[in-house]
Amino acid sequence: MAAVGFRNWARALSKGKGPAFSALLSQVRAASGPSKAMLPGPYPKTPEERAAAAKKYNMTVDEYEPMPDNGEGYGDYPKLPDRSQHERDPWYSWDHPDLRRNWGEPIHWDFDMYIRNRVDTSPSPVDWNTMCKRLFGFIGFMMLMFYFGEKFPSYQPVAPKQYPYKDLYLERGGDPGKQPEEVKHFEI
Amino acid sequence: MGAHLGRRYITERDTEPDPAKPFGFDPEIGFAERKERVMVATQEQMNLAQLPLNQRDYCAHHLIKLMKCKRDNWPNFLACKHERHDWDYCEHQDYVMRMKEYERERRLQMRKKRLEEAQAA
Repeated sequence: MAAVGFRNWARALSKGKGPAFSALLSQVRAASGPSKAMLPGPYPKTPEERAAAAKKYNMTVDEYEPMPDNGEGYGDYPKLPDRSQHERDPWYSWDHPDLRRNWGEPIHWDFDMYIRNRVDTSPSPVDWNTMCKRLFGFIGFMMLMFYFGEKFPSYQPVAPKQYPYKDLYLERGGDPGKQPEEVKHFEI
Repeated sequence: MGAHLGRRYITERDTEPDPAKPFGFDPEIGFAERKERVMVATQEQMNLAQLPLNQRDYCAHHLIKLMKCKRDNWPNFLACKHERHDWDYCEHQDYVMRMKEYERERRLQMRKKRLEEAQAA
């Protein structure tokens, strides 16, 4: 296709006339995108169709379960369990160890989401209740300690710092028109 | 360390001074004559040096000298050791004075309480 497009393009350039530019563009565009063979087939309705689809995706009829036919265009694409690749055995000799995947294995629709450095669906080391208890226990303890810190502040045993010029009355934004009360600081 | 907090919140809650409140005793109690603190740098000098408010204390003239020295000797960061020491020492003395003031207030509070108890008895 691309070669034909290029030939048309070359001819259009050399002759100065021929098919319009938009026609050329549509031909080039037709060369891109997945081919028909790469797209999923129609939703299987009969058991025979199911068996054919399962064979197409290298699956047995028992494990094959198509995506729901709700008009989103999944066709006969298999619905695979939502498990991340991280859960798979790391010691098995996979054909593709990085993806933990064998050649010809059916690919999950959202496979790119479940690769090892994306979503991980493996169970967490601690269950949900323990996680909540620890988190809220820690937050509650910190809130309690902050409350005590507010009620009983810690400070150094020193008098407030002494500043000249009536404790910096003017510098701290005092009214120059008024006369503040005299502040005297002594050496000790 | 922290003994004042134990006294403040547990053992001597009525006499331990609170630095957040102004100290109420007459500054002359117990002194024949007290020397008032002398401020060297003027307000205009501190303004021109653009000192932050918390550094406009009784050591500001040392700080201004230190800043001037640092500026004149740039980029020799090893210079101005004497100026820095002068300023640090002045601030240290200032802090020691605050510690003494606190202790004075604490003892005056205890004395006041003692006198009141003696009067009540």
